[in-house]
Amino acid sequence: MTTNSVNYIEPTTEELSEGVRLRRRKRAINFAIDVFLIVVSILMLLPLVFLVANAFKTPAEMLSWPPTIIPRDPTIANFSAVLGETPLLRWIGNSIAFAVMSTIAIVATSAIAGYIFGKFRFRTLNILFALFLATAIVPFEVYMIPLYFQAKSLGILNSVWGLLLGYLVMSFGIFLIRQNVIHSIPDELLEAARIDGAGEFWIFLHIVLPLLRGALGALAVLAFFQAWTAFAWPMIVATTRTSYTIEVGLALFQTGFTVDLGRLSAASATVLIPSILLFVILRRNFVQGVASTGLKE
Amino acid sequence: MLKRKRWIFAILAILPTLAVFAYVRLYPIADTLRLSLFKWDILSKNKPFVGLANFRELMGDHLFLDALVNTTIIAFGVLILTIPMALIIAALIFHRTRSRMAGFYETAIFIPHVVSLVPAAMAWKWIFDARLGPLNALLTFFGIPAQSWLFDPVLSVICIIVLCSWQALGYAVLIYIVGFKNLPVSLYEAAKLDGASGPQSFWYLSIPMLKPITLYVSVVTLVSGFNVYAQAFVLASDAQGAPGRQVRVLVLDMLENSFRNYRVGYAASEAVVLLVIVLALTLIQFSMLRERGKA
Amino acid sequence: MKNRSAKTRISTRALLMSAAFGAALLSGASTVSAETLTVWSGYPEMAPFYEHVAQGMKAAYPKLEVKVEAIALREHEKRVALGLTGGQDGTTVIELSGSTATRYLENDLLPEAPADISTFVKDPKNFDKFFSDTAGQGGKIYGVPLFRGQGALYYNTDMFKAAGLTAAPKTMEEYSAYAEKLTKRDASGKASVSGWSMRLSGGGQGIAEKFWINMHQYGGAILVPAGEGKWKPNFANEAGRKALKQYLTNIFTTKTVTPEMPADADAFERGQTAMFIRESWVIGDIAKKAPDLKYATAPLPKGSIALPTNLYVAGKGADAKVGWEFAKAANSPDNLVWLLQNVGWLPNRSGVDYSAVTSKQPAFAAFVDYPKGYEFFTLPSIGPIEEILTRVAAQLVVAFGDASLASDDAKIDAFLKKASDEVNTILTREGLGAK
Repeated sequence: MTTNSVNYIEPTTEELSEGVRLRRRKRAINFAIDVFLIVVSILMLLPLVFLVANAFKTPAEMLSWPPTIIPRDPTIANFSAVLGETPLLRWIGNSIAFAVMSTIAIVATSAIAGYIFGKFRFRTLNILFALFLATAIVPFEVYMIPLYFQAKSLGILNSVWGLLLGYLVMSFGIFLIRQNVIHSIPDELLEAARIDGAGEFWIFLHIVLPLLRGALGALAVLAFFQAWTAFAWPMIVATTRTSYTIEVGLALFQTGFTVDLGRLSAASATVLIPSILLFVILRRNFVQGVASTGLKE
Repeated sequence: MLKRKRWIFAILAILPTLAVFAYVRLYPIADTLRLSLFKWDILSKNKPFVGLANFRELMGDHLFLDALVNTTIIAFGVLILTIPMALIIAALIFHRTRSRMAGFYETAIFIPHVVSLVPAAMAWKWIFDARLGPLNALLTFFGIPAQSWLFDPVLSVICIIVLCSWQALGYAVLIYIVGFKNLPVSLYEAAKLDGASGPQSFWYLSIPMLKPITLYVSVVTLVSGFNVYAQAFVLASDAQGAPGRQVRVLVLDMLENSFRNYRVGYAASEAVVLLVIVLALTLIQFSMLRERGKA
Repeated sequence: MKNRSAKTRISTRALLMSAAFGAALLSGASTVSAETLTVWSGYPEMAPFYEHVAQGMKAAYPKLEVKVEAIALREHEKRVALGLTGGQDGTTVIELSGSTATRYLENDLLPEAPADISTFVKDPKNFDKFFSDTAGQGGKIYGVPLFRGQGALYYNTDMFKAAGLTAAPKTMEEYSAYAEKLTKRDASGKASVSGWSMRLSGGGQGIAEKFWINMHQYGGAILVPAGEGKWKPNFANEAGRKALKQYLTNIFTTKTVTPEMPADADAFERGQTAMFIRESWVIGDIAKKAPDLKYATAPLPKGSIALPTNLYVAGKGADAKVGWEFAKAANSPDNLVWLLQNVGWLPNRSGVDYSAVTSKQPAFAAFVDYPKGYEFFTLPSIGPIEEILTRVAAQLVVAFGDASLASDDAKIDAFLKKASDEVNTILTREGLGAK
């Protein structure tokens, strides 16, 4: 229906015109909502856009007033300076190694523990599960100092292993997998396998794990980003230049040395882009994982 | 017999995880509680038991009290800013679920939650910059005097609240969208037939029905607000030439006491206070949920 | 569906991984060979110097590998505390200020220097008694003096000329008057170039240290000895009031500086401030970052901080010997001249001819040729010194933001009393307070 015909119909049938008016109103409202949401989205992204733009500015432009948004004469000098002066790639490598290993550890421990807690209803296990769940509320910051001394006595400070120590298990991950096991793995399936003579370990590997694929995928993405954005723990565990994670490296880049916002931005942008890309690719998994955190009932 | 075999498997399978868990969670938590009762200085050889002396000292320590007040203001500030905004944005995105833009909205609003903290804080540091930042450029454009955002005692706390809210919003929106999707459609249709407008059913139907989710998101936001650290660290990190006002927060004070003043026992007692706060918040959430269940 | 097998495989691997993690943790521990010497420094700009010293040792120790790890001071102090208490691997040469080292000495965490090094340090021809004292305790020598942090005024001569000023300020009153003349303002009257850059914000003890330097000119101190190893605060008095009031006047009355203005060496190098007080390393920094800057230095009105930094050696037996050799080699005249010329920190050793550098760079004069009766102070060698300074700094930041203090002496006094009481509380807690 075109807008022209509206004029025709309006005087004729009252009901029809009412419908058109409603529809137009609805369309206008939807349009307003879209405008609002687009503005909000842009505002949310703006700081990151600024950051990337700053990375391409010359030192002179960085200091100019009023600030520019799009660099006047873009330069990549900041990037080459940062890559030359700091082991940025090494820091990124450390972060990736840490995040990947933490993800593997969390997925493995959560898969096993979640399955056992979900399908093996013994009293001992129930008590253990309650214990796991109870510690989930204790923030990491509360016990990281004693944990630091444990890492120290193991002699693993300033290494990926030291970083990993704080991120080996995730109480929420165990809870999440347990919920999934209860809801999506029928007891009959397991019983049938047992009657066929399958061993418990075989059942876990060949029946349970494939069924948990979706949940484990979501958990993996969650765990990865948790480690990737970790700050306080790497800050105290990794104190040599070569062992910094990218977060710590960037934060310390600006202390003790001259502040050069252009270079800082370049370093930040270098880090930002891969993590945003990764997120956009894994968005579905991620959203599923995050959404499941809200379903604690 | 079979049952026994299964029991043995279960115990064997859970054992490695349990061992790791005990070592990296239970032990350090217990150790925090223990250390809080000792004068445990890294450098001194004797580390005597002092009972509650650390806690008594905390009560008169103005830096700690400062940190406690700041952290509380930040946590609740983020809450007040985030929850209503998240609820409205989630409702609107849900309303436009079928539009092609829905995915874009979700992604754009969620990205701040996944980007690394430090680069994000750097971006905001520039925005808030008193001399060169775009925020002051905008203000002066409208004839409002420029503010020294990162240096004023009140404004610097607001800066941290804004930064934290920016990061927390995406998570809350996402959880709310899931909540909206789980609401019964029939109820809304009935309301529509009764002549309820969109905003009306949002106010009288969605908000009450989303209460458990609101409660959950609120507690998560509050707890992460109480653990704020990186944001305060980066916004005020004292690079020569351009520091900002140090907004003292609990985790920062804790780390300073343990790694700069080497008073680990004292820092542990701060950690215990943090733990008590978080436990209290969680208990409130549970009791409110239970009340709802009864009513 | 299609990647089911892949996922299963990954998870199987993950399973093994979790079981084997304990073994893996142990393999992460690093070992350091005897031929490796690690140097820990708290000043990134010092790294080239230590590498230079290492180069010079190549002849005598061809297989020696020296690893220089220079990081920001605060992080450095943290790793020293944690490293020394947890059993340090290999031999490490540790750069520490005398005041920071004391608490390690008190707890037997740093070894005494061998006899030959001790003789070298104690020889008054090599080091002034002030320096050998801070490198030791109870008559024993634990470290080798190297350089010191000493303050002087840096001022931008172009800006001075433009403001009709010909010489550096000589009294604290002149500092304030000069600052007023030097401040450049935009149309609205807001300062765009600060006349005198003061440390007004940021985290940590720097604010208190800088305050102490200013207060020293008025005869005050954050801490003074009270006999028998005890200490007491000495700033809830006229000197403290004058020093604080000078800050407040500059911030609120004459408005020559604000907390959010760019500050310190960075600002000076970029022409964003006309003068500021800093250590000698700034000379090296300016040479590197702003070689065209026209500036001069001048001694402070009454005296300066002198914060000696020494080299200590952690390690056992024969391995430690090479560490001590390194500390001694760092003090060879050639190396010290190199240090002054390329880094700018002031060497402590006497009897070395620095004129090759100082004659070429007149800015060093203010640090070397100070007037007679110039009074030095140093940070007390007590455990909680950093905690005390950090807490005083936190108080000062509040005061610097409180305009009502600027014109109210009674309020200033009450503030100083409160800060002083807090210092006393810490001293008492640590058993260091005077009765």
